[in-house]
Amino acid sequence: MKHKILIAGAAATALALTLSACGSSSSDSSSGGGSGTVASKLILGGPPEFKKRADGIPGLAKHYGVSFGKYTVTDTGGPVTVNALKNGQVDAADLFTTDPSIEANHFVILTDPKANFAAQNVLPIISKAKATDGVKTTLNAISAKLDTAGLGALMVKVVTQKQDPDAVAKAWLSDQGLSTAGTAASGVKLTVGSANFPENVLLAQIYAEALKAQGAKISLKLNIGSREKYVPALKDGSVDLMPEYNGSILQYLDPNATATAPDEVFTALQKVLPKNLIVLTQSAAQDSDAIVVTKATAAKYGLTSIADLAKKQ
Amino acid sequence: MATGGAGEMIGQVFSWLTDSAHWRDTPLDTGITTQLLAHIKFSLIAVGIAGAIALPLGLFIGHTRRATFLVAGANALRSLPSVGLLVLLTVMIAPHFHGRTDVGFVIPTEIVLVLLAIPPILSNTYAGVDNVSPAVTDAARGMGMRGRQILFGVELPCSLPLIFSGIRSATLQVIATATIASFVPLGGLGRFIYDGLQQQDYPQMIGGGVLVAALALTADMLLALIQRLVVSRGISGRFSKSGGAAADAVDAAITRAEVAPV
Amino acid sequence: MSLLHAVFATADSPSSASSSPWHFFGYFLDHRSQDLSWLWTHTWLSVVPVIVGLLIALPLGWLSRRYGWLYPPMVSITGLLYTIPSIALFVLVPPLLGLSSLDPLQVPIALTVYSVALLVRVVADGLASVPEEVNQAATAIGYGRARRLFAVELPVAVPVIAAGLRVATVSNVSMVAIAGTIGMSNLGQLFQIGKDLSTPTAYYPPIVLGIVLCVLLALVLDALIILATRLMTPWRRAVPAK
Repeated sequence: MKHKILIAGAAATALALTLSACGSSSSDSSSGGGSGTVASKLILGGPPEFKKRADGIPGLAKHYGVSFGKYTVTDTGGPVTVNALKNGQVDAADLFTTDPSIEANHFVILTDPKANFAAQNVLPIISKAKATDGVKTTLNAISAKLDTAGLGALMVKVVTQKQDPDAVAKAWLSDQGLSTAGTAASGVKLTVGSANFPENVLLAQIYAEALKAQGAKISLKLNIGSREKYVPALKDGSVDLMPEYNGSILQYLDPNATATAPDEVFTALQKVLPKNLIVLTQSAAQDSDAIVVTKATAAKYGLTSIADLAKKQ
Repeated sequence: MATGGAGEMIGQVFSWLTDSAHWRDTPLDTGITTQLLAHIKFSLIAVGIAGAIALPLGLFIGHTRRATFLVAGANALRSLPSVGLLVLLTVMIAPHFHGRTDVGFVIPTEIVLVLLAIPPILSNTYAGVDNVSPAVTDAARGMGMRGRQILFGVELPCSLPLIFSGIRSATLQVIATATIASFVPLGGLGRFIYDGLQQQDYPQMIGGGVLVAALALTADMLLALIQRLVVSRGISGRFSKSGGAAADAVDAAITRAEVAPV
Repeated sequence: MSLLHAVFATADSPSSASSSPWHFFGYFLDHRSQDLSWLWTHTWLSVVPVIVGLLIALPLGWLSRRYGWLYPPMVSITGLLYTIPSIALFVLVPPLLGLSSLDPLQVPIALTVYSVALLVRVVADGLASVPEEVNQAATAIGYGRARRLFAVELPVAVPVIAAGLRVATVSNVSMVAIAGTIGMSNLGQLFQIGKDLSTPTAYYPPIVLGIVLCVLLALVLDALIILATRLMTPWRRAVPAK
C-alpha cells in the first residue's frame, strides 16, 4: 500500500512538472481542428460511456467534425441531465427522443442528417435457451403493437404523471388485448432485466407482465446499469431477457457497423450477436439518442442540425 | 474484462494510474489531479464544519454533563442512509441553482458528509472529557483552577487521544463516502469508480478505489503525526519504556468510545 | 422561500400520485409487495454479513488477544480494508472471486469483509476487557482454557462485542442502500427510482420512503441487539449502575 502511495505521489509530482513545462498541451492534443467552432464553446452532458461509444463523441467527430469544449458526466438521459441542461450547467445534452421533458422544457432536438445515431427500434434480446415458441409469440405480439407515439404516451404516464411502470405496463397490455391469460410460456423460468433509465424499466415490465400472463415464472433485475454492464450479464446467463434498441446494441457489439436503416441494422445485428443470444422481431417504436440544446442556445447560435455545431463562430 | 488473473488486473490498474494522460484534464476527461484536489476539498470542508460543530459541543457536554441526549441523538444520525439523503437533498436543492455552477450539488454532498462526520467527533470528544478521572479534576480544583481553566488546561489535553481518534475515524469515513458525490454528477475520485463501473472499465474503477484508499491512508498518517506533536507524552504514554500500561488504557478507551454508540 | 415551497407544496399533478414528501406512506401502500420484498432483502443483507463476520472475527480476535504480537498487524490490516469505498468493493468482488457480474452474493461478501474488519478489533478488545481476577478465579475453580473461554471470557465480553455488532449492523443498512444504486434489489432502488422520476420537478415519495424504511430497519435491528445483550448478561442487571 505504501508503495502505491509513493508511486502515486511521484507520478503527481512528475505530472505537475510536465504540465508546467508544456503549458497548454492538453488543448491541442484533444480537439481535431475544433477550435473556433460553436461546439468548442459548449459543454456537452451525458452518460460516461458516451465518451467512447461509437455513436458518441467519436461518432460526432467522425460524421460532423464536431468536438465540444468540455464533456460533463451527468446520467443516462435522466433528470440529472435534464436539469443540468435546463439550469445551464451544460449547454447540450445526450437525451432520448421519447423523453417527455424535451417538450416540457422546450428543448430543441438537433437533426442528425448523417445518421450518426442509427435506427433505434425497440426489440427484445433474449437467451436462445429461453426463447421457446410460446415466449417468442408472446414477445412478437408486443412488438407488433408498439410504436413511437404509443411509447411516448406511456412515457408521459411514467415520467410526468409518476405512475408505476408495472401498472402502466399492465394497463397497456390490457388495452392492446395482450393480457388474456394463457399457457404459451408456462414452465419457462426467465430473468427479465432492464437498463437504468425509466423507459427501459417500463419495457421490461411490459415483457415481464405479458410473459407472466402466459404462465412464465419471472424474476426481475431492474436498473442494472449501462450496456457495458448488462451485456456481460446476458452472456453469462445472469439475465435472460432485456428490452434493447437495435442500433445501439449493434454499435456496441460492432463499433465499425455502418448500417443505419432499421432493416439493415436488424440484418447486421444477426451476424454479431453472441452465440447464446438472439433478437426477436423489432417493433416500430423508435427511441434514439439525440443531441438536444435549449431553445435559447439554439436561437443564439442558429442551431437546427448537429452539423451546425461545426460552424465557425 | 473480468477475465485474466489478479496479477494481470494489478498490472492494468498500475498502468492506468501511471499513465500521465489520466492525470491531465482534457475537454473530454477530467484528470486525476483535478479530481483528487476536488476530493480533498470536499473532505476538508466536511471535516472542518463537523469539527467546528462537534468539538465545542462535545467539550461542553462532557464538561457540564448537561444535554447528554445530544450525543445519543447524533449517534442516531448514523442510521441515516447516506445515499438516500444525498438523493433527497439533491432533488430538493439542485434545481434552484442556475448557470455554470455546481453549488447545487456541492451543498447536498457537504450536508451528507458533515452529518456523517459529526457522530464520531462528538461522541469521542464527549467520552474523552467524560473519561478524565475525577481524581485528576479534583486535584486541579484543589490547586485552585476554575471551570474554564480545568476544561482547557486539564480535561482537553487529557482527552486529546480520544478526540484525535474521533477526528481520524470521521476523516476516514468522509473520504471513503465522498465517492458517492459522483452519484449526483459531481467530481472527486468517485467519478472514476462510477464511470469505470458504467463503462465496465475495471482498471479505471479499481484505480479510483486505490486512489481513495491511498488518500484516506495519507490523511490518517498526517493526523497521526499531528496527534504525536500535540498530545502530551504524559498522556500518550510515549516515554522510553514504562508507559505501556497507560497507552494500553488509552487504546482500550478509544475502542470503547468508538464502538459504543450511546 | 422557494425551497420551502418546493418541500411543502403538494404538486397538482394530473394523476393520483402526489409528489409531496409526506405522500411516502401512500406510495408504500401503492407498491406494498415490491417495497416489502426489498425491505426483506435489505434486512438479510444487513444481518447475515454481520453474523458471518462475527463467526470469522471470533477466532481472529481470540488469536490476536492470545498472541499479543498479532494485534497491531491485525488491527492495521483490518483498518486498511475500511478505507476501500464500498461501491468499489461491491464491484471488485465478482472478478476477484469469479462470480457473474450480477451475482447477488457480491454485496453480502463485500459487507462481510467490512464486518470482519470492524469486529476483529472489537473481539480482541472485548476479551481484553475481562478482568484478570475473573480469569484467575475461573482457573482456580478448575476451568480448562477452552471452558474458561466459552463459559467465562466470551460471556463477560458480550457487552463490548455487542456494541461493535450494533455499529456494524447500522452501517451495513446504509451500505446496502448504496448497492441499490448499482442495480441490486433492495431499498436503495427506491433512491434510484426517486432520482429517475425527479423530472421535471422533484418526486419525493420513494426517496423519503427509502430513508424512513432504512432508518426504521436500523433502529429495529439495533434494539434487537440491545435486547439480546440484556438477555445474555443477566448479571449486569443485578448490580446497580454506578
